[in-house]
Amino acid sequence: MRAALARFVIGQPLGAAGAVVVLVLIVVALAAPALAPHGPKETGFATYVAPSREFPMGTDQVGRDVLSRVIWGARLSLYVGVVSVLFGVTLGALWGAVTGYLGGAADAGSQRVVDILMALPPIILALSLMAALGQSVNNVIVALVILLTPTAARTIRSVALGVSATPFIEAAQAAGASRTRIIFRHLIPNCMASYIVLVTTNISYAIVVEASLSFIGAGAPPDEPSWGGMLTAGIQALETAPWMVFFPGLAISLAVFGLNLLGDSIRDLTDPRLRGGLG
Amino acid sequence: MSMSLSRCTRLAALAAALLVTIGPLAPSAGAQEKPRPGGILTWFDYGDPGRLDVHAESPLVVQQATAGVYSGLLHYDPDDPSKIVADLAERWTVSPDGKTYTFHLRKNVKWHDGQPFSSADVKASFDRVLNPDFKSPKCGASLKPMVASVEAVDANTVEFKLKFAAAPFLPSIASAWCRVAAKHILAKYGDLNSAEAQVGTGPFKFKKYERGSVIEWEKNPSYFIPGLPYLDGVKQFILVGGPTQLAAAKASKIMLWDAWPPMRKTQADELARARTDVDIYQAPINTVFFIYLNAKKPPFDNPDLRRAVNLAIDRQELVAKSLEGAGVPCAILDPKLVGDFALPLDEVAKSPGCRQPKEPDIADAKKLVEKHYPNGLDIEVAVRQVGNYVDRGQLVLSQLRKIGIRGTMKTHESAAGYAAFGKGDFTIIATQDRAMDVNEPSGVFHISYTTESGSNYGQYSDPKVDELAERALKESNRDKRKQAYWELQRYLLAKCDHASIAVGWVEGWFFKDKKLRGYKPGLTTYDNNTFMKAWIAQ
Repeated sequence: MRAALARFVIGQPLGAAGAVVVLVLIVVALAAPALAPHGPKETGFATYVAPSREFPMGTDQVGRDVLSRVIWGARLSLYVGVVSVLFGVTLGALWGAVTGYLGGAADAGSQRVVDILMALPPIILALSLMAALGQSVNNVIVALVILLTPTAARTIRSVALGVSATPFIEAAQAAGASRTRIIFRHLIPNCMASYIVLVTTNISYAIVVEASLSFIGAGAPPDEPSWGGMLTAGIQALETAPWMVFFPGLAISLAVFGLNLLGDSIRDLTDPRLRGGLG
Repeated sequence: MSMSLSRCTRLAALAAALLVTIGPLAPSAGAQEKPRPGGILTWFDYGDPGRLDVHAESPLVVQQATAGVYSGLLHYDPDDPSKIVADLAERWTVSPDGKTYTFHLRKNVKWHDGQPFSSADVKASFDRVLNPDFKSPKCGASLKPMVASVEAVDANTVEFKLKFAAAPFLPSIASAWCRVAAKHILAKYGDLNSAEAQVGTGPFKFKKYERGSVIEWEKNPSYFIPGLPYLDGVKQFILVGGPTQLAAAKASKIMLWDAWPPMRKTQADELARARTDVDIYQAPINTVFFIYLNAKKPPFDNPDLRRAVNLAIDRQELVAKSLEGAGVPCAILDPKLVGDFALPLDEVAKSPGCRQPKEPDIADAKKLVEKHYPNGLDIEVAVRQVGNYVDRGQLVLSQLRKIGIRGTMKTHESAAGYAAFGKGDFTIIATQDRAMDVNEPSGVFHISYTTESGSNYGQYSDPKVDELAERALKESNRDKRKQAYWELQRYLLAKCDHASIAVGWVEGWFFKDKKLRGYKPGLTTYDNNTFMKAWIAQ
């Protein structure tokens, strides 16, 4: 285990750095109640206090501790990112794998649905969904699931088409295995590498979309500690209280940077063409 | 160094000499300046009005969008906004019993479409706002309790019969909401909502309305006061959101910021760093920051829950944080605006919900909530997405959490919010500023406290409040009237369960381009926005 870890760090130094950032993000998110010095919605302090020993990241326009909101924001971002991606990518993967294997009219029909969904600009689609569903964290997840599903379906379908043509699938068919058994015992396990890459790379995308929606006032409700929402509030006092923008902005950048580095590295490790080169 | 000092000394001497020579010849910014015709004044509306019917709507943006297009029988003097002067009326008389007002109208006034103006237009306008079936939240709400009938005596004379001798009648008639609309336009369009229906007798013609973008007026060359207006036009940008408004001000895209929302101190400081060609000033805006509870729906149909919220709201914190201290917390009437009609502030500060320290009131409020909802309750908290309402809403949510009320914020686009609130489609409105229509003590009660008041969004009715408000309105003796208003304020503060919660009177910072002349802010944010005497110096 230790040797494998050392190999990963040496072979994928950027990926290792990303993993550290992601690990910190996870720890901060999970331990937010213990780490945050104050409640994320607690407004009992003076407004626009500059970073100091008492408030390392300052306070905001209604007297909340920015550090506590950034910490709780990690939890919200990770929650939205992980849940939406797990649901969206899993749903899309199942959709793509099943229709890709079945082929024919089911595949052609479902791909046209995917075409329609992918033709809509993602932020406009997300905005429309939020307008229809209403402003809440869970509705952001629903919007993201709808955004992520078609991309995952298209990607996994192409993988499934390749796997379907392999001899072991033909052998299973010849042995009389049912479609369900072939899909779930043979096809899907062989699509897992792509699925894992999709999950890791899309979490950062989901975090950015959530931050974007919250930034334009269509994501998490304003009092929720969303990094995007904190940016919106910070813009109102950019000259007076630049820390209100700086720290949530930094948090978004670091989280996305770390997740992207880790995702790229996992893609490299699971891609047979790149794996040979790294050996 | 010595050379440099010597040069400085010479330059200073030269400057002093020039000042002595040229100083007396230089024009001052005083009244002796000759108004310069031409130019376009730019300012902004905080939101998109959507509907433009000045008789049927209440948002400030509707007033701003149409102010220069219409005239009233009377209006506040643009040179001295504390005075009521004739506008479409040349003069007026009052009967000895104070119950009949006769307005003698100007002759040869034309509507913007060329049609002649007459007393029939005045009658049609006021019959419209006084119609019991017509919802007129501003002009109608203030006049209906006072006016019995309006009659056109002849083509140039109109008579108003009052139900009683009412001191607020003239201020109400002079209000910017009681504009005279054309009878033929009302007949043609049915209402005044569309841009096409904006046909008035005012100094400017309605030129353009691009939804969400801009409203423009152009000079009315046939205005009934010769020589006015000086400006060629007025352009109002529709700027939603504080950062956009401030960015426009800093970039010199607007020449005036003298309407709601006022700038906060931090914004004013930011503007002062960016522009030296503006005068920045702090002023009240004759506006109350209200929180509304829906008294027709659970949980706030329950007086205990209304009292709990009344007790829990920390008005001082809300004024300190959301208005950056620029406001008068707790007051139902602001002594700065209505003098001694307002209850003394030290008495107000001792009332339930206002008194400090806050902890005992919060503890009482929590008990009231627990009595009905032992596990607390979840509610939706509505705010319009204008000004800094979202920030205010977050403070209100935080204060409600302390007594076991967990709120989720629901934000509304400006016009959609008004529509929802008007229909009673809310549980609690976390913040809604209500500007006074008249600078008069009766204003606030007939806006938000009496059963029929125009902004009684919570649909709360207390016969005692109605009775006290009417008694004060009818009282002609000033001292007795003052006592009546004190009684009403004391009643509301002590009972502490009204669905309209006055957080405080709003103040803020504004600016005026130094080149803008002939403009004086009105006593209410609605008045004196016609720019009939405004002009732009070189």
